[in-house]
Amino acid sequence: MSPPIAVVGGGSFGRSLARAACRVGQRVILWSRHEQRIDGAGETLVTTTQLSTLRQAELVFFAVPSPHVTALADELGRSLDGSHLLVHVSRGLLGPGLGTVSEVLGTRTPCRRVGALAGPLVAKNLAEGHPGGAIIGSAFPEVIEAVTDAIGGPRLRVYGTDDVVGVEVASALVGLVALALGYALRLGMEPGTLAVLATRGLAEATRVGEARGGSPRTFAGLAGAGDLIAAVAGDGRPEVEFGKALAEGLDLRAAAERAGAYVEGAALAASVAAFGRRFGIQVPLSLGIAKLMAGEIDAAQLAEALMARPAKRE
Amino acid sequence: MKLLPTRPLRLPRLRTYVPRPDDPKIFWFNSERADIVDEVVRRIMERYDGEESAELALNDAAYHEIMRLEADKSEGAKRKLDYWRGILRRVGRMSVEGKHETLREIALGMAKDVAGNFDPRVYHFASRFIPGVLTAAMNPSNILQNVLGSGGSTLDGLVTTEGPIDKIRNVCNRGTVVLVPTHSSNLDSIALGWVLFREGLSPVVYGAGKNLFTNPIISFFMHNLGAYRVDRRVKASLYKEILKAYSCVVLERGYHSLFFPGGTRSRSGALETHLKLGLAGTGVEAFARNRSRGIDRPVYFVPATINYALVLEAETLIEDYLKEEGRARYIIEDDEFSRIERWLTFFNKFRGLESVCVIRFGEPLDPFGNHVDEQGSSLAPDGRVIDPGTYVTRRGTPSVDARRDAAYTRALGKVIAEAYQRETVVMPTQLVAHVVFRRIARATPGLDLFARLRHRGIAIPVDELLQELGQTRDRLLALEAAGRVHVSNFVRRQPPSNILDGSLATWSGYHSARQVARVQNGSLIAEDPNLLLFYQNRLRPFATDIAGNDEADQAAAREIAGMEHRS
Repeated sequence: MSPPIAVVGGGSFGRSLARAACRVGQRVILWSRHEQRIDGAGETLVTTTQLSTLRQAELVFFAVPSPHVTALADELGRSLDGSHLLVHVSRGLLGPGLGTVSEVLGTRTPCRRVGALAGPLVAKNLAEGHPGGAIIGSAFPEVIEAVTDAIGGPRLRVYGTDDVVGVEVASALVGLVALALGYALRLGMEPGTLAVLATRGLAEATRVGEARGGSPRTFAGLAGAGDLIAAVAGDGRPEVEFGKALAEGLDLRAAAERAGAYVEGAALAASVAAFGRRFGIQVPLSLGIAKLMAGEIDAAQLAEALMARPAKRE
Repeated sequence: MKLLPTRPLRLPRLRTYVPRPDDPKIFWFNSERADIVDEVVRRIMERYDGEESAELALNDAAYHEIMRLEADKSEGAKRKLDYWRGILRRVGRMSVEGKHETLREIALGMAKDVAGNFDPRVYHFASRFIPGVLTAAMNPSNILQNVLGSGGSTLDGLVTTEGPIDKIRNVCNRGTVVLVPTHSSNLDSIALGWVLFREGLSPVVYGAGKNLFTNPIISFFMHNLGAYRVDRRVKASLYKEILKAYSCVVLERGYHSLFFPGGTRSRSGALETHLKLGLAGTGVEAFARNRSRGIDRPVYFVPATINYALVLEAETLIEDYLKEEGRARYIIEDDEFSRIERWLTFFNKFRGLESVCVIRFGEPLDPFGNHVDEQGSSLAPDGRVIDPGTYVTRRGTPSVDARRDAAYTRALGKVIAEAYQRETVVMPTQLVAHVVFRRIARATPGLDLFARLRHRGIAIPVDELLQELGQTRDRLLALEAAGRVHVSNFVRRQPPSNILDGSLATWSGYHSARQVARVQNGSLIAEDPNLLLFYQNRLRPFATDIAGNDEADQAAAREIAGMEHRS
């Protein structure tokens, strides 16, 4: 019998991943800090508050908001060794150097076979089993294989790439673009405006990704364009809801509550802006979002600043 | 096989040395040599066991060899050219067995050409006399005494060793050590060889560019001290596979090895930051292969930095770096290393600076980048002992997987590059060059590297320079306290005026074509920005941390930090 799948994090995404794995016949152990009841939990899905229970798994999904990544990685690492495969689903990047979550996992735990799961994955769709796709980035073929076995199936096509950093940067920056799109939508901007925002946002993401060592091809795939199209099409993702709430004048906390999930926002935008300044990369959208969220400018000023930039060759 | 005709000399087999039980493993190397070559050929045949892959390998080898030999006008090249053209003509008509037989013949020839030799007699001779010869070069008036006896003690003072030597000795006894130092000079392997001997560490097997075998004396020592020949001109994939198989088999059998993972000497003088590891990567495969055969022989990577106050080939290297920017010559055969008078001047310059070469070993790592304890057990980040075998195991079964091991190797390259920074020892000449170059950058804001290097003769008042030297040194000491770098004792203890005088004295005379810098009317004149760039490049990763707080200094440091470099 194959070993169970472990999921670290009892938030909406963690629970959805656990469901998705159960659906394709896997046994799942879901860890969350606090005891929780999950509908449908039974023989194939058990919950725990002890990280050491996860030792028996081979594949461990890490669904933890980026502010908690480092501390929880340290804690989790004490129960794992080199045989575990560790895959995260975070949309965050860490610090002014835009460190990736997989880099943290690969240095703070004994696990080296790490990866990042991304693409047009939304907790609700994943839990309910709507047809869709995802991308797993890992330098290790066995990680790609294990993730495909764990959640892939007739309803979820899982693609693989070895461009981990590309997947992680794409996922994080598409989250930021989605936030800006939500904001613009609520302000009643026209489809043409949204298209410019989305496309130039993706171009910005690609520049940052290349500077971090990613491949531009990744940004044209599921992790970048695919993810962004789903956001524009209205897949109900938290980042868009968060942007809309901000546009309605809610403060950060109230907006986060409305979104119903942790959203990488102000800190990420500020980090990307600092990264751009340091390495001479144009990141007008991230810079604008950072200023907007810090209350330095309002939406009209942001739109004006973005539109006033000289148009260049694409 | 007439592929590579220049076979290095060996001593006659009279009075063969019989290894004693406490001799290092490498003393048995010659008795296993034929076995190793056979094993390499066996793996190559396994790798190309299909008809198509064998034909492809033959075609590829013939094509690349013909391309190479056509440019070579020697008589020997003509004969070999005929051989390869014959292969290319016949390969399409060969039977399956014929293809495999031809492949085996070529592989055997290549493997024999690569394979090294270790003659304990040469080792004992070299370890006794090389220090004397080197020291004699530094002190010619006492040549007889130096060569015959006490030369080592002077050399001891010139080449110092730092790092966890006892721990490295322990891991040498427990498993196979892969020594991966930075590479800035052809003297590196000689200095390392001497230091290993002095510290009671086992001699190592190492790959050396075939261009180093052109001098018969150097060739004799290299070949008989375990070096295997790597001919970088041979581009055939078959040859690369043979090199990989050879180093893997040697590591699997427990022979400690030395690789320069940067590939060639750092042209710019900078630390290597992007390591592909190349052949050193076979350490991961060797570990996995042993594990899947049930052999528990750990592999340890030991990073080391070799820090010179003066780099023998600095002028050629930086010139090559600047001349081609992207198309550097990969093999340089006519540099200072081949000119004995440069060696003499080089060693003569060392007297004022205490140690002129500091070799600093880093903490041993397992192939997966984990630290190990004193006994060589792998440690998780939380300090727990873990089994390195788990990294090559899936669901309880250890295996060999080329893609997986390549991913481990890439990750290890990053860890080693980080260790290089941490284990760098800042030498006085590097510090002086950096402070002066920062002044050049301040005087030329926003210029690209080449425009900046055309600014010769920038003058800096000596009293200002000494103050900046002192402040920069203090910031380096703070970085050292934070565990980010090391500084040499001379830099740590001497007043800035001695650091400046010592560095100028070291440069002047050795870099004789043009002065690096000179003092005139109370100012230091930066005469050769190229060499200043070369020496300061070692400090590039720390530029913004050791610059002053004023904006001009910080801006200059950012420009230095951002300078695009190939290593």
